[in-house]
Amino acid sequence: MQSNLTPRYLIIGLILAWAIYALTPTWQYQGLTDDEKEELRTSGELEQIESRTIRQGLDLKGGMYIVLEADIPTLMSNLADMKDDRLESILQSAKEKATSPDVDFFTVFEQDVKADGIKLSRYYHKYGASLDDILLALKDEADDAINRVLEILQNRVDQFGVAEPTIQKQGKHRIVVELAGIQDSKRARALLQSTALLEFYLVKNGGVTNEMIAQLDDILKETTDEAELKELADGGETATPEEPKQTDLDDDGTKTVSELFGETDSSPSDDSDETGINILADAPFSSLLAAFGNDLGVPEKNVYALKKLLNKSEVQSKLKSANGQFLFSQKSESPQGGTGVNNFYRLYYLENSPELTGGIVDEARADLGSIGGGTAGQPIVSLSMNSEGSRTWARVTGANISERIAIVLDNKVHMAPSIKEKISGGNTQIQGFGSMNEAQDLAIILRAGALPAPVNIIEERIVGPSLGADSIAQGTQAVIFGLALVLIFMLVYYKMAGIVADFALIWNILLVLAVLASLQATLTLPGIAGLILTVGMSIDANVIIFERIREELQKGKTPKAAIDAGYDRALTTIIDANVTTLIAALVLYQFGTGPIKGFATVLFWGILISMFTAVFITRTIFTSYTSRKGLKTLSI
Amino acid sequence: MRIIKETHINFMGKTGVAAIFSAVLILVGVGSMITKGGPKLSIDFKGGTQVAVNYTEPVDITEVRSALSNVVIDGRDFDFSNAEIKHFGNESDVVVRLPIIEDEPEQFTHKFVEKMAEAFPALVPDNESEFILSIVKLWPKIGAELSGDAFMAIISTLILILIYISIRFEFRYAVGAIAALTHDVLITLGIFSLLNLEVSLAVIAAFLTIVGYSLNDTIVIFDRIRENVKGAKSATLSSVINESINQSLSRTIITSLTTFFVVLILYLVGGEVIHTFAFAMIVGVIIGTYSSIFIASPVLIKMGSDS
Repeated sequence: MQSNLTPRYLIIGLILAWAIYALTPTWQYQGLTDDEKEELRTSGELEQIESRTIRQGLDLKGGMYIVLEADIPTLMSNLADMKDDRLESILQSAKEKATSPDVDFFTVFEQDVKADGIKLSRYYHKYGASLDDILLALKDEADDAINRVLEILQNRVDQFGVAEPTIQKQGKHRIVVELAGIQDSKRARALLQSTALLEFYLVKNGGVTNEMIAQLDDILKETTDEAELKELADGGETATPEEPKQTDLDDDGTKTVSELFGETDSSPSDDSDETGINILADAPFSSLLAAFGNDLGVPEKNVYALKKLLNKSEVQSKLKSANGQFLFSQKSESPQGGTGVNNFYRLYYLENSPELTGGIVDEARADLGSIGGGTAGQPIVSLSMNSEGSRTWARVTGANISERIAIVLDNKVHMAPSIKEKISGGNTQIQGFGSMNEAQDLAIILRAGALPAPVNIIEERIVGPSLGADSIAQGTQAVIFGLALVLIFMLVYYKMAGIVADFALIWNILLVLAVLASLQATLTLPGIAGLILTVGMSIDANVIIFERIREELQKGKTPKAAIDAGYDRALTTIIDANVTTLIAALVLYQFGTGPIKGFATVLFWGILISMFTAVFITRTIFTSYTSRKGLKTLSI
Repeated sequence: MRIIKETHINFMGKTGVAAIFSAVLILVGVGSMITKGGPKLSIDFKGGTQVAVNYTEPVDITEVRSALSNVVIDGRDFDFSNAEIKHFGNESDVVVRLPIIEDEPEQFTHKFVEKMAEAFPALVPDNESEFILSIVKLWPKIGAELSGDAFMAIISTLILILIYISIRFEFRYAVGAIAALTHDVLITLGIFSLLNLEVSLAVIAAFLTIVGYSLNDTIVIFDRIRENVKGAKSATLSSVINESINQSLSRTIITSLTTFFVVLILYLVGGEVIHTFAFAMIVGVIIGTYSSIFIASPVLIKMGSDS
């Protein structure tokens, strides 16, 4: 080893300077109080500092991680010029086959189309004539759709107001959303998942509705067997013993279905299960309903049973032939003066093609209803429509005065007011919100626009703020204990040399943190575990060297010769041994998600840097020590 | 200070005993996995909903179970009494795991958490956001993808390491190292199965770290063997290996001890979330150290006598 150590000191000095520079923002940031942060945020400086600090993963600071997947089959169905059962069934079967991760939807779809001999140009003629052309165009549409979804979701989240949201595309059809520190997961979920498809349907009148209910009762009476009815009765009993629904309703001045429409004779007021089934058998459909104000009401507990009935194929085809559909109200309500125990959803029988649909919203704003109106003090959303929308809206309202029109968002009826007069300005109001937040979220969603394809949440991870705080505390504790233990051990075992190794170890930790800060890497709980592991494993290099030096000293070498021999011999061992751990860390980084990636990052840099600190730095110290004193013994 | 002075232990003379010991450990572990139908997979790989909540005072699991035996969500009766319900770290935190429900009610997770709160209204923290510790919801589809990824990760790590050691050493060294690694992972998996512990993504990360660690250990010994083989052409491979292991024994023990204590601390104070990760590491450090001496080297001898 050359005695001129100046270049080595220089390198070490430079790296130390860099580490301090890289870690300063993190220091600063940790020291800030919430008020100071707010102050810096307004002046725009906080962002600068934040961009240079070690970021905490969601598992440490709490928050929500959501993976959304675009529903490509539904998009394909929406894109078709013409739809029939054949196309739907082929899309459905491709969808089922493509649930395994390695299967691409389009590959399966192409195979199915070919196997079935179906002519795609029948359904997608605007995309070309040949199968290849159409598939290529559809793939482009899908890619385009996901990009638009990404943009719209970004828009929604930005307006929602979360600090540092991340929204990224993952693979071809997925979007990963990370919302730090979010408290109301329900609201965030709804905001992300809503397709925001706004539609206006005419409500069919009472007579027609009544007739359909009677017909459905007849159909269901024939096709539903005893066992199924029993199940329905169990799943949604028509009444609960403690609170006979009928009286409740009468007290509120509401009427039964039979009173309202004068159709069904049996009144579904009995308490016992036995009779419940009988009623179900007699009038499977209407017995699940009650009157609610001037609308049909469905007690909450009957909703599931009713949805099951509505999804039966006989019912579906009956409704289809009558150009009608049943939709539920968006939320349940308690009867006037009711206790809220027996809540009702409203059920509407609507035309099945919308009068006006999505895309027409120019501006949406959440507000409180103005004083003097029917909605005074209540949250409302005011819509203004573009010119095309305004024209259609004027025509529809003009032609259907005194009819009711349902405002439907994502297949749920928000409200169904009667049309009093022709509305020509293109302005309308939506009401019926539980809170101002709800109205605000709807306004956000409407402004950002509808998603071109529905999205499904396929993965969701939420960490509460308290668990994250616990993790930080416990992780820090583990790092400090682990570090202290190793430091003390090295000191006791190797004395002076141990101090050198300890010094190198502290350097190692500092440098890892500095690298994390400058890479803007995310520190996760497994990342902290990686840091602890680095402490345990990186000391190994020094142990290998020191043991070697001891061996050489035993052979009778001078301290200087022993140190040189020890380092030279140990170097290849250290490199070979560490490269394999680096390989494991790299693979982990490649395959891992979120927290695991954090672990791999820390492990990788920890091991890599340990080779520098444990070899380069300690050797420099040793060399300057031995050359200065020309000493005869070594404290190791 | 010195724990180990010069030693002359005949390690290679004890490979028979070690082989039986390892074989028994692997057979018991693998046997347990077979009878249980594979390793117990966590929600990461199976999919499902996992909700961890925090009551202000200790609650009894049987009471939680009976409270969840009849839950009505959107008019549907659910019986969750068969769900996996456990304490989470301490007596007042509870974690419930449910399978994914077909055509589940909208905002099911949220409504379920509400039911958990309603079960013990007096024990819910005033600040509601403190009630939810964590929620994980994974569709089985994602679970399948993650299992595939984890499998690929382990296989590709092994292959890359095989290549690296073949280049840096010789192929027979690589075989010895891979034998040791497979041994380590199989035994750790077996112990997990015997103790009914779940294999999660974090545990897979621990496995890969064990692979890295055990290899680290093996290579330090191999390096000594390589060095000594060059120096002593006449001696038998077995005696060279014995000498090499003895020479590096002090280092092996010190490094294993520091790493062991560090992961032990992680296990003891690191908290519930990384408990199983730390446990896997503890097992891995012990098995990894053992396998470097008693598996990797004997395999090297077997391979050496063939060539």
